[in-house]
Amino acid sequence: MSDSRVISRIGDGVYRVIVDGRAHLAYVAGSGSDVWLHWNGRVFHHPFDDGRSDQRHARRPAGGHQSLSAPMPATVLKVHVAVGSAVHPADTLLILEAMKMELPIRSTSDGVVKAVHCREGELVQAGAVLVELE
Amino acid sequence: MIERLLIANRGEIAVRIARACRELGIESIAVYSDADERAAHVAVADRAVRLGPAPAAESYLNIDALLDAARTTNADAVHPGYGFLSENAAFAAACRDANLAFVGPPAGAIARMGSKISARRVAESAGVPVVPGQTPADQSDAGIVAALETVGLPALVKASAGGGGRGMREVRDRAGAESIVQSARREAQAAFGDGTLYVERLIDAPHHVEIQVFADTHGTAVHLFERECSAQRRHQKVIEESPSPQLTPELRQRMTDAAIRAARAVGYVNAGTCEFLVDFSQGAHSETPFYFLEMNTRLQVEHPVTEQVAGVDLVRAQLLVASGEPLPWTEQSLFQRGHAIEARVYAEDPAQGFIPQAGRLLLYREPRHPGVRIDSGFREGDTVGVHYDALLAKVIATAETRDLAIARLVSALRDFPILGIRTNIPFVVRLLETDAFRAGRVHTRFLDTDGAYLAADPDVAPPDFLRDVVDAARNERRPVEGAAPISWDPWQGIRGWNAR
Repeated sequence: MSDSRVISRIGDGVYRVIVDGRAHLAYVAGSGSDVWLHWNGRVFHHPFDDGRSDQRHARRPAGGHQSLSAPMPATVLKVHVAVGSAVHPADTLLILEAMKMELPIRSTSDGVVKAVHCREGELVQAGAVLVELE
Repeated sequence: MIERLLIANRGEIAVRIARACRELGIESIAVYSDADERAAHVAVADRAVRLGPAPAAESYLNIDALLDAARTTNADAVHPGYGFLSENAAFAAACRDANLAFVGPPAGAIARMGSKISARRVAESAGVPVVPGQTPADQSDAGIVAALETVGLPALVKASAGGGGRGMREVRDRAGAESIVQSARREAQAAFGDGTLYVERLIDAPHHVEIQVFADTHGTAVHLFERECSAQRRHQKVIEESPSPQLTPELRQRMTDAAIRAARAVGYVNAGTCEFLVDFSQGAHSETPFYFLEMNTRLQVEHPVTEQVAGVDLVRAQLLVASGEPLPWTEQSLFQRGHAIEARVYAEDPAQGFIPQAGRLLLYREPRHPGVRIDSGFREGDTVGVHYDALLAKVIATAETRDLAIARLVSALRDFPILGIRTNIPFVVRLLETDAFRAGRVHTRFLDTDGAYLAADPDVAPPDFLRDVVDAARNERRPVEGAAPISWDPWQGIRGWNAR
């Protein structure tokens, strides 16, 4: 099939693909491993990045250890747990605030808090590990 | 007439107001925080003044800094936009005391409608029906919980000073009510600087229908029909349209009469919106019950829907009325023509609980389609920050009928690539394509209940032929094997993938 495809770059990040006579428009942006693709109203992050799939699907590390990290830059509003606290699924461990909205960070499993890496009032960056469970 | 207008806001609404100023020959003055120095709203205004650091409390909510900016630029009027200080009576009063025309209602009307308690009293005094509820004198956790039990569960806890769903929580069970109350109070305090809470009976599956009203200083008050905004997620509107797919002419008449009575009862001036919950559980007929929810004493986010369907410019009318001129319309000159529908494009990830997204807009191309209007405050390359609301743009489609307007909106949204951060566009498209939405059956709880599944991204991989496109983009400087010569045709970028 691939010999029937014609790809032309028609603008900055805009590509026209002809597949079996039919034209498709695709938009691509990003660099290195951080590639974004738009096609027909749908958006793909890390498309065709085998082994990495969409980052949203790979969140929980295997094993008995779990760490919860900030999904985005935010202010820590409340910390409900301390080292040694027992937690259960859906328990609110802490509350972040970003864009004037409260974002509760909840446990996804049973466990005991091993470490708390943030304080109330602290500004945390995206990806920063906030709480570790075991 | 106003000569120099300070726009006390940011984002798409500040851009919208600056454009209205340009048409009227008014000099526009933008304000900005350190996070917004290069923002779109600064670029379109005639002048710009720095307010302070990025946090809203130190910039867009800083009354002293705003008044200073007005003074140093010799502004004679202030437009508050929506959000921020738009419904802050102290700000309206401070503008008046500084001899600045406030583009909005008098401070007294803001104060009376801004507090849910007194707004209810106004509505009741004007013969407008209200939902059963109360503001407990005892604002402790126990006091609020006791009030919840009196009103009856399920119930809502709301920020008395609030709007936009902030500080609002639903209580379905007595268990855990205290922590819900505490969370609502914290969010109310953070968003509005006032943690006073109000409780109200929850009406299951209502429709949200609001009436646009407009009054001038010469005693004229008109309505500009309704907007239906029932597609909401946790009380945040997602889609707004006019006319409502459900309203009968008799019900419209009752609701618009009620809205004008409420506006007159507070001595309202300028643009305002009376929000109602409509209970269609017994069908749509002339006796369908509706309840006054609140009055928004400002321009609404969704005002373009009314502009499109009534063929008016609400911001221009606001500036005329704030200058002391009469309304540019009479009730007899206003009518609804065709159908308009708006989608709010947010930087958020529906698949991850609608978490707001921050980051750089690597690629951002607004569609240019017939009958489609885009109000936006971002450009390609801009950074979406964490400090403010995550609204990127509003896409408004207008057509002869509701079905055609929906089709037009879907087509425009599919042709609106935004890369670098997640947006709610795919979610909104999925919603617009449901039978429930097409039939006008979406109620305010739909997206949190029966429609909650729409948040999940169908786990479908991109078609394989796009692999070559990604590879081509990765190796941009290398010629693509078997590819046609690279051509540049601007029309291709505009017409979309299905152009023939």
